[in-house]
Amino acid sequence: MSIDDPIELVLAGDGKPLLHADKRESFRIFAQRLSESISNSKSTNDHIGAVSALLNETGGGFSFLALTKDQEVFCARDRMGVKPLEVGSIGFDMGILSSETGALDVVGANHTGSVKPGEVVLLDPFSISRKMLKTSRIAHCAFEYVYLARLDSLMENRSINDVRERIGEVIADESPPIDVQEAVVIGVPETAIPFAISYSRRKNIPMRMGFVRTGRHTRTALKTNQFERVAGVQLKLNPIKSSIRGKETILIDDSVVRGNTLKNTVLNLKRKGATKVHVRVGSPALIAGCPYGVEVPPRDELIGRNVSEEEIADIIGADSFAYISTEGLGRAIGIPGEKLCMGCFTGKYPEKIE
Amino acid sequence: MRILGVGNAAREHAIAEKLSMSRHEPKIYWVGDYLNPGIDKICKSTKGDYALADPTSPTKVLEWATKWRVDFVFIGPEEPNFHGVPDVLRKNGVPCIGATRSASMIEMSKAALRRLQWKHDLRGKLLFKTFATAEQARETLEKYSDTLTWMQNVALKPARQAGGRGVKVIDDRQLYLHDEKQKFKTSHFGWLENYMKSYSDIEDKILIEENVWGPEYTLQCFTDGRNVIGMPLVQDNKNAHEFDIGTETGGMGSISGPKKTLPFITEEEYQESLEIVKGIVRAIQATTGEDYMGIVAGQMMLTEVEGPTIIEMYSRLGDPEALNVLAMLDSDLVDICLAILSRNLKESDVKFNQKATVVKALAPKGYPAPRNLATGHPILADEDQILKNDARLFWASAQRMEDGEIVTLGSRALEILAQARDHPSASAIVERAISQVKFKDGWGAFHRSDIGTAELIERRTELASRARNLYRQRRAKGTLSRRRDWLPKVGIIDPAKTLREEIAGLGD
Repeated sequence: MSIDDPIELVLAGDGKPLLHADKRESFRIFAQRLSESISNSKSTNDHIGAVSALLNETGGGFSFLALTKDQEVFCARDRMGVKPLEVGSIGFDMGILSSETGALDVVGANHTGSVKPGEVVLLDPFSISRKMLKTSRIAHCAFEYVYLARLDSLMENRSINDVRERIGEVIADESPPIDVQEAVVIGVPETAIPFAISYSRRKNIPMRMGFVRTGRHTRTALKTNQFERVAGVQLKLNPIKSSIRGKETILIDDSVVRGNTLKNTVLNLKRKGATKVHVRVGSPALIAGCPYGVEVPPRDELIGRNVSEEEIADIIGADSFAYISTEGLGRAIGIPGEKLCMGCFTGKYPEKIE
Repeated sequence: MRILGVGNAAREHAIAEKLSMSRHEPKIYWVGDYLNPGIDKICKSTKGDYALADPTSPTKVLEWATKWRVDFVFIGPEEPNFHGVPDVLRKNGVPCIGATRSASMIEMSKAALRRLQWKHDLRGKLLFKTFATAEQARETLEKYSDTLTWMQNVALKPARQAGGRGVKVIDDRQLYLHDEKQKFKTSHFGWLENYMKSYSDIEDKILIEENVWGPEYTLQCFTDGRNVIGMPLVQDNKNAHEFDIGTETGGMGSISGPKKTLPFITEEEYQESLEIVKGIVRAIQATTGEDYMGIVAGQMMLTEVEGPTIIEMYSRLGDPEALNVLAMLDSDLVDICLAILSRNLKESDVKFNQKATVVKALAPKGYPAPRNLATGHPILADEDQILKNDARLFWASAQRMEDGEIVTLGSRALEILAQARDHPSASAIVERAISQVKFKDGWGAFHRSDIGTAELIERRTELASRARNLYRQRRAKGTLSRRRDWLPKVGIIDPAKTLREEIAGLGD
């Protein structure tokens, strides 16, 4: 791929630099500064140094990939490693970069490594150079593990599917014991399915398919708000009656935003014959926004920030309701809590946010 | 003894027949706005008379009651109650079985009923909101549809009793058809506003109510104001067509027996339902300051949120539900009426047989709309043959012309009843009888073959067990009647509490 005059640089990014409130604008400013830094540097040997200097002074959690008019490809992850960036090789002489290893697999590339947190990689037609930025605390995005990443991807060499299965085990171990009879475990497709598989295994309660989704794959739906998608999913789900009829149903979900769609789901399950519905959620209560580009609704629209688990159960008409704890989520991911960003679950971010 | 009946449908035919069977051997007189062939026959055979007059006109009914020097009047349908026929009769010294104008508000105004229930904090009530215009309804629903759960899933109704017409239920929980459902709500508000223009006797025009699900049943009661005596439960089938498809009608057929409950309602639920109806009678008496004398009925549903719940109230017997209970009534109806009028009604006065009873209505194609198509078709029905086959025919929206021909008037033309040891057997008897009824001009007729079948009863039973399981669990947890929502920027709200406070603020 190449670019020609008058275009100086094209950039693809994930996450968000802390340059502007708006994600696109933030990346636009970043791309402009990147381009200026490169053109201001004295020689081509200095390009990677100029990019590193810029990154050292730019806050935020993001990874990017930029192609310049000199036919150089720069890519980097922020120093905290909030967002992932994976490297692969394809054919004899091509490199490929992606946020997810799943994308490398599906185009037939080999996954050959990761860009490290705070690492800048420069690929030019003749060589590849790497440079580390100033060190910082590590803060991988926990929400990637719970919801955003594909099941077939690896992040920090961890299988997303394995992490999600561990989440199911942690929910099973953590949540208040319930004395269930004639019970069944169902998961909200697709994110919560691995949670449900391992919850079922751990509790020795059979898991069955709970829903069929009608229509388009929601991940491809072009919704501006990530959470509208989360909420939108459940409105498209049709409970499979024979799975739940006459059963105490343990419904495993991935996240709760306003709770209104979950309320409808619980009501639907009961109306279709579930005798009780216990809700277990594979992410902690969502209580705050994300400075790194995940579009969380305003704080006062988050039920988890405002209402206790017991009250949520009452409001949505469930017989019990529990989230995974933040500690439990850290355990499931297998990364110590101090090396994760759980800002949306705790309101505490890895760097100072204006 | 002379008794005057008012009204002219199948219910009134059944009332006339039951009155005529009394040990008092009364002469039966009638006022109706068309000549019901069945009632006419009974009037003739008892040496009574039948006058064609507006049954909703208090002066007309009084005029005939006075002329015939009747001992008491039995009001069949609701409209004479709404127009104050019982009030005028009593004021003029004519005893009457029928709810007064102000008591029959529990039926005439669905909004008044709900306000009464909320004001007295009675059990078995639903969230509701009323509007004077379609525009107001539209605005409110738009404002709340993304937030208040109950406003997403609503029943839209005319605020006044309108023969069961105009009720639409919209459950909007899925993404699919969401836009279409929104559009339909809006257009139906327009329809309701227009429909209600013909009624000037009520301020509220449009009612929205939280939508509930569960099996429906009707509990009809005799009351003298002090005692409320429940009759066997009846389940009416409102949808026009098989599989519960089609417009809500006045009722396409009903089942009752063999016990006092239905196969899918428990004895405990019967008692609770009776207490709920009694509560309404007490509340309306407290409001009106007069005794309720006659029939009161709860059209009820077993719901998840409330258990036994009032959907609507009747200030009279249901049609077709009247046919079921009168066929099951072993006691003398005239004795019961006399006990009511002397305020001395006792449980022991009212005895019922234990037969499974099935009624089905036959309607000309075109019913319920466009009704003009359903009008004017001559009916061929061999009543003697039907009787020989153990079924009974009751004439409804059909009149006898001067040439003796019986012609449809646009609504359910006739109803056929049979009793047997179980519902499927009774249903089969009705089916045999109904197949013998034809229109002379070859016009099509329809009825519901599924009413009373084992399959349909099984479906209702399954539905009831789901609803019962859920409301019993709520009761055990203490969350029966609880409806809470969480709204962004507002917090936890309790729509029931808000409504209760709103109603309390209204005063009387």
